[in-house]
Amino acid sequence: MVSIPPVLLIAFPLFFAFLAPLINMVSKKAVKPYTLFVLLLNTLFASIIFLNVSSGGVIYEQLSGFYPPIGILLSVGYLGAILALLINLLSPIVYISYFGDAKNSVKFSMLYMLVTASSTGIVITGDLFNMFVFFEITAVGSYGLVASMRTKKAFEGAFKYIVLGSVGSAFILLGIATIYGYLKTLNFYDIALRISSMPPTARLMAFIFLIIGIGVEAEIFPLNGWVPDAYEGSSHRVASFLSLGPSKAGIYAIARLLFTLIPIMGGFELALLLGLLTLIIGELAALKQKEIKRMLAYSSIGQMGLILVAFSMDSRMAFVAAIFLMISHAMAKSLLFLGTRNYTVGSLKNPFVSVPIFIGVLSIIGMPPFPGFWGKWYLMVDMASQGFWTIILLVILAAIVEAVYYARFLFKGTGTEKSEGISKSEMTAIVILALLLVLVGLFPQYIYAPAVNAASSFLGGGP
Amino acid sequence: MRKYVAIIISALIFIVLAHFFITGNAPINYLTGGKYTNPITHEQANQSVPQQYLNDSRKDTGAPNVVTAIVVEYRGFDTLGEVTVLFTAATGLALLIEEYRRKMEEIVEPNFIVKIASIVVLPFIVIVGTYIFIHGHLTPGGGFPGGAVIASGFLLLLLVHTTKGLPEKKLSITESFAGMTYALIGLLGLVLANEFLQNYLPLGIFGTVFSAGIIPLIYIAIGFKVGSELGGILHNLKGVHEE
Repeated sequence: MVSIPPVLLIAFPLFFAFLAPLINMVSKKAVKPYTLFVLLLNTLFASIIFLNVSSGGVIYEQLSGFYPPIGILLSVGYLGAILALLINLLSPIVYISYFGDAKNSVKFSMLYMLVTASSTGIVITGDLFNMFVFFEITAVGSYGLVASMRTKKAFEGAFKYIVLGSVGSAFILLGIATIYGYLKTLNFYDIALRISSMPPTARLMAFIFLIIGIGVEAEIFPLNGWVPDAYEGSSHRVASFLSLGPSKAGIYAIARLLFTLIPIMGGFELALLLGLLTLIIGELAALKQKEIKRMLAYSSIGQMGLILVAFSMDSRMAFVAAIFLMISHAMAKSLLFLGTRNYTVGSLKNPFVSVPIFIGVLSIIGMPPFPGFWGKWYLMVDMASQGFWTIILLVILAAIVEAVYYARFLFKGTGTEKSEGISKSEMTAIVILALLLVLVGLFPQYIYAPAVNAASSFLGGGP
Repeated sequence: MRKYVAIIISALIFIVLAHFFITGNAPINYLTGGKYTNPITHEQANQSVPQQYLNDSRKDTGAPNVVTAIVVEYRGFDTLGEVTVLFTAATGLALLIEEYRRKMEEIVEPNFIVKIASIVVLPFIVIVGTYIFIHGHLTPGGGFPGGAVIASGFLLLLLVHTTKGLPEKKLSITESFAGMTYALIGLLGLVLANEFLQNYLPLGIFGTVFSAGIIPLIYIAIGFKVGSELGGILHNLKGVHEE
């Protein structure tokens, strides 16, 4: 089998994003096919790397010609490979929906490529500071994408995102400085190996700084004030893209922090508390929303909380559940954001819109046989075997609330906007996403095997 | 017609690049993780990284300036990321205000002294900026400050010629080529020396301008990139004068 250096997942989109203005000067029409081509290329690389990892184990790549921890190390673990494939598979599909749109800005396509590349970078890097750099690119690119609608609401959302994102970045940097000050290293493995030699207070400080910083991107409860406004203000395609890329990368970083980087006393309990709060507040707030995008945004928050709850169980089955929930959320939420722009009950007449939306809703609320079901099922089974009945009750209550507002949305529509009809390219995108959901739901074993590997590797302190 | 030319050009670039990486010289098998020795067993682990930078940077990189050695060589991938952060910010700004630049209500004629002095000062600003980024591996400074100094020259131009903007297209082309040069230097490292951004040029005589391998090349690319990028930001932020 061919093997590909993982750095190409980042280097190629960067190179092609730098090239894009020149392509735009030659021909404005070529920009969209060009961007799609670059994204598909990344999909190809990510799938090859995924196959390599699932057959041969973790891939390490050393950069600049120096041994880690002197140089930078990329390490693609099982979870990293799954998420890299997920992000790079879905981003071209969402990009398809831009075809046929009259707006044609090369800058937008460049930001799209850059954010895709940097979200991938977060999940495949093996170096703490390198991760921070990719968080910066993701955040700065997302600010531009959110504001690109140039409406009042878009600017409001983008401004909130900028304020929270900048404060978050500063906190990540503080956390990194704390760790570097004590351990004189930035490599994940090196840190994990020697973290116990750090004084407990300093360790706790670094942990809290990092979780505050990363939590902004991962939409964790006290730090997610930007989410509803940013999702509401941005165009439905940008909202769709944000829910598949940056948020997944953020939650990956939190899992990495919890399991391998800074295992502290009470870390999992803290994560469980944050996750439950995020879940309950997100779902209850979603119940109250009348505007469809705000509802979906709050529902996203709830889902991120559920994923965090699954990670914080610290057991193999729950970890697998978290991976399924991430896949379900990325696919179904992108689908719903794309498909429901002007959803009314009348548009149900078009089966190419109504059926995918229905599938997306079913997967989110956890009906069989979609990936959301597998996620919630594994999570319930695991929590039952450990005897966390209160938490099960809370999760089930949240799921019922979720089902209520999605049912209301399905049967009543949003009714706030006139239906403009959905373009052909958008329809293509949501049909492909729905097909993917069905495929993953019917054949969960192909995800299950690498997911179990990922769980064993993470629980064993690996990448 | 132009559309097809553009697609063919990008496809050709891709084929040439992909050829090297997929079939080309890959003596190291990425599957087995042969590139990485675990920090637990490797002799260089469990030591202070900054101490090693101070001890080995001259030997490893051939650059007298330790900061440059760390920024461009040891952690070159981060620097590529930082360049991209700036690029992303400039792109986002351009996306938001490019077509909607503020109309200037009134024009304030610049002072006579500023006008004349700018002609005298401008060449020196450009020379100082260029000096800073070409000598990045020898003296304090480098691509980022050098580019910023050059951009301050652009700012002076904008202040003096109140009704004109900067040549946007040329800046954009410079920016693109500089960015691609950086990425290509990294990719060439993968082809010629097995690792991304690895040095594949001779280190040269210690302390001269033509030394330290790829560091000067990268800093020249960064200097051009930062200069043109900040120039583009200034151009975008300046209002439009309408006759």
